[in-house]
Amino acid sequence: MLLVQLAFRNLFRNGRRTFLTCLLITSSLVVMILMDGLILGMLGVMVGGITQTLEGEAQIYKSGFRDRFDSTLYLASPESILTVLEEDATLTAYAPRVIVPAVIGSSYNTLGGMVYGVDPEKEIATSRLRQALIEGEYLTNNPRGLLMGRLMAEKLEIGIGDRVVLTASAVDNNELVQGLFRVSGIIEFGPKELDESFVFIPIGAAQALFHLGDGLHQIALRFKDFQDANRSDLALAREIQEEGVEFKGWLALQPSVGAMLEMTSYATLIIGVVLFLFASLGVVNSIFMSIYERLYELAIAKAIGTRPAFIGGLILLEAFALAVISCGIGLPIAFCLMTYFAANGLPLGGTMEFSGVVLPGRLYPELVWYQFVQFPLYVILLTVVAAIYPALFAARIAPARSLQKAL
Amino acid sequence: MSIVIETQNLRRCYGRGVTLVAAVNGISVSIEQGEFTAIIGPSGSGKSTLLNLIGGLDQPDEGRVLLQGQDIAGMTGNAISDFRRDHIGFIFQAYNLIPVLSAHENIEYIMLLQGVPKLNRQARVLEMLGLVGLKGLGHRRPAELSGGQQQRVAVARAMASKPDIILADEPTANLDSKTGAELLDLMRQLNAELGLTFLFSTHDQMIMARAQRLVHIKDGVVEQDEVR
Ligand SMILES: Nc1ncnc2c1ncn2[C@@H]1O[C@H](COP(=O)(O)OP(=O)(O)OP(=O)(O)O)[C@@H](O)[C@H]1O
Ligand SMILES: [Mg+2]
Repeated sequence: MLLVQLAFRNLFRNGRRTFLTCLLITSSLVVMILMDGLILGMLGVMVGGITQTLEGEAQIYKSGFRDRFDSTLYLASPESILTVLEEDATLTAYAPRVIVPAVIGSSYNTLGGMVYGVDPEKEIATSRLRQALIEGEYLTNNPRGLLMGRLMAEKLEIGIGDRVVLTASAVDNNELVQGLFRVSGIIEFGPKELDESFVFIPIGAAQALFHLGDGLHQIALRFKDFQDANRSDLALAREIQEEGVEFKGWLALQPSVGAMLEMTSYATLIIGVVLFLFASLGVVNSIFMSIYERLYELAIAKAIGTRPAFIGGLILLEAFALAVISCGIGLPIAFCLMTYFAANGLPLGGTMEFSGVVLPGRLYPELVWYQFVQFPLYVILLTVVAAIYPALFAARIAPARSLQKAL
Repeated sequence: MSIVIETQNLRRCYGRGVTLVAAVNGISVSIEQGEFTAIIGPSGSGKSTLLNLIGGLDQPDEGRVLLQGQDIAGMTGNAISDFRRDHIGFIFQAYNLIPVLSAHENIEYIMLLQGVPKLNRQARVLEMLGLVGLKGLGHRRPAELSGGQQQRVAVARAMASKPDIILADEPTANLDSKTGAELLDLMRQLNAELGLTFLFSTHDQMIMARAQRLVHIKDGVVEQDEVR
């Protein structure tokens, strides 16, 4: 095809300009893909920071429990629910918990806090409890073992092996109960409110101490695909449906996270639009330069009988080819960078805490297919759209005037 | 003999108000089939303007341009493009060719626009290259050809579309006098042998000497029309 042939030869005519314009389009594409990957990675860390630290990706609890952590609202006979969880294929792990507010005392000081009765084995796959251990030993089957947050230990001025007394009201008759434990390990999750107010004891000891029997306050869940937790048509949620039992995914548990996700995707969109707007301006400029350079020959072509649409089409085709070439260069580059950073992480220069989540020192971008399919299509489309105005200009060249002017 | 192109009281003004210049101020000429006509006159006399009007590159303010009786003034868009493609051959002063296309492709280009089938095109390109004495140079890009050779390719392209008339605005202005004379001799020869109608402008005495008919214009009006 004549048009295609002309377009390509014209592109390779001013190699440097074509190269620079390609560079502009290519780098916009690469930046866009990287940015999207990093934002997805960061969201993953933030969502993961919340769901994986302790909360889980979904929770099952007695209606009303989460409102005020009222320990009298508990699942009295959770066996049937646990059987369902045990057999569910969408889950990777679950952890039953007893959660009771208590006064935590050492020989020097007392503090208000939360006592978590946990199954040490099940927590390993569900939360970061085990990883959070910075000193001493993880919970064993020793019923007197206790894990304490670092900040709380500092305030209570105690360390490994020291005695701790837990005082709380029993869930059945509101009478005060007390238990004696020994600090077996110090933990540090990162977020301050976790590290200064939580202690963890074996679930059996907690159930006995607070008169719960087999009762549970909460079951935290981990899914194979964390997005499953928010699905409204989840089979699991239906199966455990029972009077007074709540099932909530992380979006429902943490509405602020949902708002943050929404805001972030909005911000990505705006940055993307701005980025491509600048790139488009560059493209328009470069196309206009190429038209002005060829004004005389375009005028000749028009004079000898080339239709306006052909000239306009030529300019659009040149832009299209430019965009396709740029994407052809940009995609492998973006892919290499993404796979490299996905494997090695992008150093952020130190950890930071952001809305209750500790961001690690390295960020791992997330590679998603749409970045390599949709983004290039947008880029090509935008480049061609940007070329419409120059194309119209070229199509409207008045041969007599341009020939006269150019000589 | 039949009239190919005729202008009737053609007027074209530039500027407005006090700066209004009538570049072409009521010109009526008829060009007959097979004529070899030169439009001559001093610089600024309106030669280019007249040729542009005749070739449909510019619109007159008044008057008509009739190609075989059909008025072309007022044609727009694709109609005027197609009219130029099919009825007029153009040779400009210089840089007539599309730089990214070879001589062969430049000649072929106009036939591609006309939709001539490939085999006919190839044959005709070779024939045209032969006629202008550039056999074997078809693969060269314009940059690889001398100024005179480029103008010959332009002549070949102008003929290729089988136009009714070939318009040439100072085709020799960018050539040395010897090369210019050779180009004119070639055009004259094509005119004599193939009966092609040429209308060209010049202010070169030596070029004028080769014309069969001279239309003298000055300040946008015909001063003298001599057939020799
Ligand atoms: N685009 C324009 N705008 C304003 N005036 C113009 C324009 N083009 C031509 N003119 C004027 O019209 C008149 C005729 O110009 P034209 O180019 O037709 O002359 P010419 O005979 O071809 O001259 P030359 O031999 O120098 O090429 C001149 O006075 C010129 O200044
Ligand atoms: Mg002129």
